[in-house]
Amino acid sequence: MAGSQDTAARSGVTAGHATGSDRRERLRQFWKSDFVRSSPYWAIPLAIMGLAVYGGIIWNFLISLTDYEGFLQPPDYGHLDFEMYARALGDPAVFSTGKNTFVLLLAFTTVSLVLGLFLAILLDRDLRQKNTVQTIYLLPMALSFVVTAQFWLWMYNYDNGLVNTIVGLFGLGPYNWIGDPQLVLGAVIFALIWQFSGYCMVVFLAGLQSIPTDQFEAARVDGASIIKTYWRIIIPQLKSASVSAAVVLMIFALKIFTFLYAMFGTYRPPKGTDVLATLMVRQAFNLQNWAYAAAIATILLTMALVVVAPYLYYQYRARAL
Amino acid sequence: MTADNGTGSDTVSRRTVIGTAAGLATVGLAGCGSGDTTEAPADTPSDGGSGGDGGDGMSAETTETGPTPNDTALEVLHAWTGGDGAAAVEKLTSMFKEEYPDLATNFRPIGGTGNVNLDSVVARRLANRNPPASWQAWPGENITQYGGLLANITDVWEENNYTETMNPMAAEQCRLNGEYRSMPLVSHRMNNLFYNVHVFEDAGVDPASVSSPSGLLDAFETISNETDAVPMAHAMSGPWTTLQLIFQNFLGMHGYDAYMSYIEGDGDKALLVEALETTQEMLENYINNDASTISFTTANQKMMDGNAATIQQGNWAYGMYRAEDSGVSYQEDWDWMAYPGTEEMYMLHIDAFTFSRDTSTPVKQKTWAKFLGTKDAQVEFGNRKGAIPLRTDIDTSRLTPFLEMNAKHLANYDQFPPTIAHGLAVSPNALNACKSAVGSNFSGPYDAEATATGLMDAVSQ
Repeated sequence: MAGSQDTAARSGVTAGHATGSDRRERLRQFWKSDFVRSSPYWAIPLAIMGLAVYGGIIWNFLISLTDYEGFLQPPDYGHLDFEMYARALGDPAVFSTGKNTFVLLLAFTTVSLVLGLFLAILLDRDLRQKNTVQTIYLLPMALSFVVTAQFWLWMYNYDNGLVNTIVGLFGLGPYNWIGDPQLVLGAVIFALIWQFSGYCMVVFLAGLQSIPTDQFEAARVDGASIIKTYWRIIIPQLKSASVSAAVVLMIFALKIFTFLYAMFGTYRPPKGTDVLATLMVRQAFNLQNWAYAAAIATILLTMALVVVAPYLYYQYRARAL
Repeated sequence: MTADNGTGSDTVSRRTVIGTAAGLATVGLAGCGSGDTTEAPADTPSDGGSGGDGGDGMSAETTETGPTPNDTALEVLHAWTGGDGAAAVEKLTSMFKEEYPDLATNFRPIGGTGNVNLDSVVARRLANRNPPASWQAWPGENITQYGGLLANITDVWEENNYTETMNPMAAEQCRLNGEYRSMPLVSHRMNNLFYNVHVFEDAGVDPASVSSPSGLLDAFETISNETDAVPMAHAMSGPWTTLQLIFQNFLGMHGYDAYMSYIEGDGDKALLVEALETTQEMLENYINNDASTISFTTANQKMMDGNAATIQQGNWAYGMYRAEDSGVSYQEDWDWMAYPGTEEMYMLHIDAFTFSRDTSTPVKQKTWAKFLGTKDAQVEFGNRKGAIPLRTDIDTSRLTPFLEMNAKHLANYDQFPPTIAHGLAVSPNALNACKSAVGSNFSGPYDAEATATGLMDAVSQ
């Protein structure tokens, strides 16, 4: 306000003109502000991401409220209801694939995190050849799903797969890892853990190395054992690292479709590994039940949010975020 | 304290930023949401707009119906990306380009087994009102899903006399709502049992003596006792191979009429259970242990190597035997019999192309359709693919000996049960339900009763 009065006084014109030049001046200042001048650097990416990601999510949700199916009619946005969700909740296929998805999400994320933390602590204890070991563990992460899926399929071969050869050394098996519905989900989760625990290790290792050594020394002086030092002092400081690792892992768990498709070459993976993502693709692209598939997609998204949300909220409350 | 407060308020402001951002995001989402809803009705006219594109197509049609086709390339999608299929389609497209050098074309392979990816690409493009001019599709019930979106090419059939010269079964499968909407290229026979001659000799089993599925089980028992080979190579990485086998047994045990009743939704569940029990006996006792992790090509290789005695497959398996480096030759190393019990039948599979109604290249589309029906296209493609031309007036001596035999069967038999696993006999919905039934209840552990219920429900939808 003061600024505008100044401008008005300086220019010495009538009140009407004053408002006009006042507006111009404000506009000029607005255009010169950091917010506007930096906008090409943030607004364009924001717009693209907003449209592609959130726009996509919203459109998907809208389609799930219609009765859109087949090729002949475009979706009718005039009659929106939750019929598809009601149908999904009563569909045993959604229930069983949802269960598989949940088990996969939880088991894969938890075991990868714990294993990654364990490896990171081992490496942090000044292991010889630390860099080599680190690279060896991280390397699987660099491989594409297509490659890892194919060679795990070979590893799980009943007759000449490496897994049966190894368990055979202990007098076990052979097991039909892929053909037995009781085992196959575990087999897939194990392959995923193999691929991603190295990533967790690197994230935790970076966290561990940012913790000053005097904390270790102080703990030692106070007579704390190594296990106690980690449990009480070090691991609690890795919370933000574990949040980021957990979020990335969950995203990969949701991308399980790629892995399953690369492994089995079909939208219908063997019994026991059918997840919401494969069910959704079959509904959409085999059967053209677009609205129903969109509803399943929304359920999948909600499930991921439900898993992540309490943790994020906890972190927020604990002021780690 | 003050300093503490300072940092405290700092944190609060950062946290406020996070909170506000979250709030704004929510509002933004809601805003976008309402934006989308208001745009939604606009979307419908915009579809009309793409109908306007169709209008462009129409105007193109009016210019194209003249003798000169327009400059837009003819877009054709197919799924033959590897091995014999790729060689066959390569020959087909180069023949087309040779014959019509002035036509712009765009042949696009979309990989993936069982047309899975191709079908989803086509589904997406049809839903987006941007279909390719032509794509490879199993005819019969499979194309019912494309309903009113297919072009009527009856004039191509009539002008070229294909109505008289094409196999009548194939011609019938290419009709939808009374008009021709597909052009068949070749046929694969489904009811084959390929076997390794040496393994049968070692086991002392005379292939000619096997004439029923139960006889086949006896032969399997002998082979498993007398040789190191697995009686039957089988791949279970997808449910289609097992689905195929179940209905071979059904046909072999209960015959053509029972099969036709089943696909018409009027089947006898007890017969289905019997066929499933026989299949279960085969799968539990006589197949390779690693079936669940291998594809049909690997399974086929086991038979070629003598590690398995037999394999039940469509005659695309022959494409592998005739490859120059296969190491096996017809009747010396491998041989063929109709699946026991189905000797007088030809279980029909058809590879065809279908055509979209809304296309900007209607003249080229019909040129392509006409070309697919020519004798040369069918023979050259078939010889490379291991498939049988559907023209009834070709000189069968142009085919390889094995295919020539199959072609004679196609010309002379009376019973042509259409394949279920490859979309001729049942709609995509029913096929999906059949695969679900097999995938959930018949891929180990086996539950014949539940599978039969699933299969019965699938066709009665």
